[in-house]
Amino acid sequence: MIRGSMMLQGLIRTFQLLAIAAILAFLLAPVLLVFPISFSADAYVSWPPSGWSTKWYVALLENDEMLEAFRNSFLLALYVTVLTLLIATPAAVALARSTFVGRDTLISIFTAPLLLPSIVLGLAILIIFVGQGLVGTWPGMILGHLVITLPYALRVLLTGLGTLPMFVEDAAGTLGAHPLTVFRRITLPLMTPALVATGALSFIVSFDEVVISLFIAGTQLKLLPVSLYHYVESRTDPLVAAVSAIMVLGTLLIVLIMERAMGLRRTVAK
Amino acid sequence: MYLKVDSLEKRYGAFDPSVSNLSFSLAQGELLGLLGPSGCGKTTTLRMISGMVAATSGRILVGGHDVTGLPTYRRNMGVMFQSYALFPHMTVAENVAFGLEMRKHSKHEIAKRVESALAMVRLNGVGDRKPRQLSGGQQQRVALARALVFEPDILLLDEPLSNLDAKLRDDMRNEIREIQQRLRMTTIFVTHDQTEAMAICDRIVVMNKGRLEQIGTPHEIYETPATPMVADFVGRINRLKGTWRSDGAIDINGSMTIRASRPGARGAPVLVMVRPHRIGLVASGSAIPSAEHENVLAGTIRQVTYIGDTLQYSVEAAGARILVEKATTSAGDPFQSGAEVLLHWSEQDTLTFAADGER
Amino acid sequence: MNTVSVNENPFGRKLVLACLLPILLVNIVAFMVPVLNLAAMSFRAASSTGSLEEGITVSTWLGLFGDGYYWSMVGRTVWFGILITIITLLLSYPLALFVSRREGSLKAFLVVVCISPLLISAVVRTYGWMVILGDQGVLPSLIRASGFTPPRLINNETGVIIGMVEILMPYMILSLLSGFGKLDATLEQAAGTLGARPFTVFRRVVLPLSLPGILLGCLLCFVLAVSSFITPKMLAGGRVSLLATEIYDQAIVTLNWPLAACLSVLILVVFGAALVLYGRLSKIVE
Repeated sequence: MIRGSMMLQGLIRTFQLLAIAAILAFLLAPVLLVFPISFSADAYVSWPPSGWSTKWYVALLENDEMLEAFRNSFLLALYVTVLTLLIATPAAVALARSTFVGRDTLISIFTAPLLLPSIVLGLAILIIFVGQGLVGTWPGMILGHLVITLPYALRVLLTGLGTLPMFVEDAAGTLGAHPLTVFRRITLPLMTPALVATGALSFIVSFDEVVISLFIAGTQLKLLPVSLYHYVESRTDPLVAAVSAIMVLGTLLIVLIMERAMGLRRTVAK
Repeated sequence: MYLKVDSLEKRYGAFDPSVSNLSFSLAQGELLGLLGPSGCGKTTTLRMISGMVAATSGRILVGGHDVTGLPTYRRNMGVMFQSYALFPHMTVAENVAFGLEMRKHSKHEIAKRVESALAMVRLNGVGDRKPRQLSGGQQQRVALARALVFEPDILLLDEPLSNLDAKLRDDMRNEIREIQQRLRMTTIFVTHDQTEAMAICDRIVVMNKGRLEQIGTPHEIYETPATPMVADFVGRINRLKGTWRSDGAIDINGSMTIRASRPGARGAPVLVMVRPHRIGLVASGSAIPSAEHENVLAGTIRQVTYIGDTLQYSVEAAGARILVEKATTSAGDPFQSGAEVLLHWSEQDTLTFAADGER
Repeated sequence: MNTVSVNENPFGRKLVLACLLPILLVNIVAFMVPVLNLAAMSFRAASSTGSLEEGITVSTWLGLFGDGYYWSMVGRTVWFGILITIITLLLSYPLALFVSRREGSLKAFLVVVCISPLLISAVVRTYGWMVILGDQGVLPSLIRASGFTPPRLINNETGVIIGMVEILMPYMILSLLSGFGKLDATLEQAAGTLGARPFTVFRRVVLPLSLPGILLGCLLCFVLAVSSFITPKMLAGGRVSLLATEIYDQAIVTLNWPLAACLSVLILVVFGAALVLYGRLSKIVE
């Protein structure tokens, strides 16, 4: 009787583990399967591939539009990241280190764009940008992405500033350091992990952003997620799998940077 | 007077002030303790003196100059924080050098003074380490060296010993006192520990609920406390409620008569306080020495607690419980629970306070 | 902001304002003005050529309310949102519970594995599902290989739901994990020592304590499901029209901005309703 119930328990445990593994496989399947498909020798996506080759990676290197889109997206993410850090860092320090009426309201206003569906935000920005001639321009794209990256950055930086050791800034003041010196010599070095995490997050958010880009990139400015989206609309060959595989690996790098800097969970959640 | 704090007040919004109408002053080279329970406003006071918190009203004068409006970085005061607040990304030497760097001393001068400051706190040779590689006691010495190395006008210590274990605390306390006296450094020492304050301070300010309760030497604070709060805070004490009689004695519950050295107004309620270790204890029927200036009371021992260096007796006398403390001896416990005893203490040791709190 | 009154900060009022000015400018120029303008746009009307007609009118709103097509679309969107949220919760809960009960580096690794898909482009992940669910894809091929006829998994509602559930799982897991933070393993052991059987422990201790995390995760998933557009568009091949995809079509293809603006406001109303419901349920749970 007792042995029977122990066997039953063992069975339940095995079943539980199998179920967990199945769910995990479901979660990771689309990300993992682009790798074998990207090495397919077929002209269209099919499983299992009739043979293996690197021809889609070669095709990618010969696809001028994809290469241009990749270069543009990379540059855009770079500009957006630098600007995000330059704009969000002083704002976060000012918000974290001073007390004034309306401070919490301001933080809510600055993070509000995250609450709005990006489809609504994209449409709203499109309508304004059309009037200003900003659609399809670099300044327009950068501005459109900053709306999304700044709230993320502000949240991560405020979290990071909140965990600084107590009173070190006060201590520097008592030792004779002017507030600007305190910032440069104490606050800035101590918030480096938060800055690295913020930079990585801003880069990946900008690089991956597709909805807002779809609205305001127009037809002239090619961006990778938008080009992929349009490519998939018309064709289903493994070229996109090759791009996807590269993007997954790139994201993995960003994830590692974030995990080392501040912890992924603390960076992504607030 | 070198440092003068004049009617200092701090209010946050519409709440009761954290500090109100606080005035005291320090002579050059004096070590003044700011003593009080947590939340009494002592740390806020220290932060106002150093400029980390702006005073709502009142003035702070150093050497005759009003510094109330000066930002922290221009006050030239060394502060040692409870958490030490060492810069984790700098080495010990860089931490100590920071204040000198801010004052634009030459590299050579800085190196020389950092070395002698580390020598002063007996930390030679750890200059290259990071703070987290040091023990708590060592970190504390670094914090002290950092606060002293630029020769501040005033040294402010915020609960500097509370993060150390008991043994280290006494050593460090004496070391701070020794360095302070050697440098003749005008110092304010914030603490909630009365033993600490008594042990090293020239004078003590006792604070409660943002107000000054008493200022005086440790002896004055302990022997002639100005308020029941002070009497209570600086050591264990028995409390009895009574009424002044016309003959200058005090009646407690109608069953006990106590004499004090200074009589009060007839019929007024009075709070009587006696320190447990100032009460003598003899077996019932024994003779009391110099009995004419003593209060004598018959009682029964209800509980005996042995805590190593002292014995605590809880004695029931005239309907009240009175705590008596005696030093232990190797001979063992002279009284058992249930023993009939006589309590006696001198009129001088009988502290009386009007029941509204004034002496 | 004239509400900014600085007291007692080491930087001084001007420096604080200077620090906040750039982010404020971006916020105003690229967020507040566009959103207010969008709300105003819903009270304009588009002519048949796509140009805007003069004057303020409620005719676009009236047209929207009078058209049963949009009513059924709102209904379908909400229904999809609910369905996707429930399936996501059912799949995420055991995984999150499993992860929260691991220790040390294994837990850290599992957390990273569960969350990092969040950072991979939605286009890439959805493409992954096209690879899996497509007619020549992995899953139909496997089903055929085992001798069955595979059902159609793409360019229909099934595909959208499968893809959306997977896309939203990391958000749900994240919310659940933060909810499980309050769940102390000793509580379960305590319940066990009091004689509760495992299922009873789950029902009486684990589930109630994780309800706040469940509610937060459901709110997040519902809101994201309702406003998602890339995944439905790619996996449904235009055959399932939802609020979000319709906004895009009206804005980019038909160029009827007033209608797109009205639909955007409609989405925000659905959001608001979900938030109100969340607030109510949270109070009950507390």
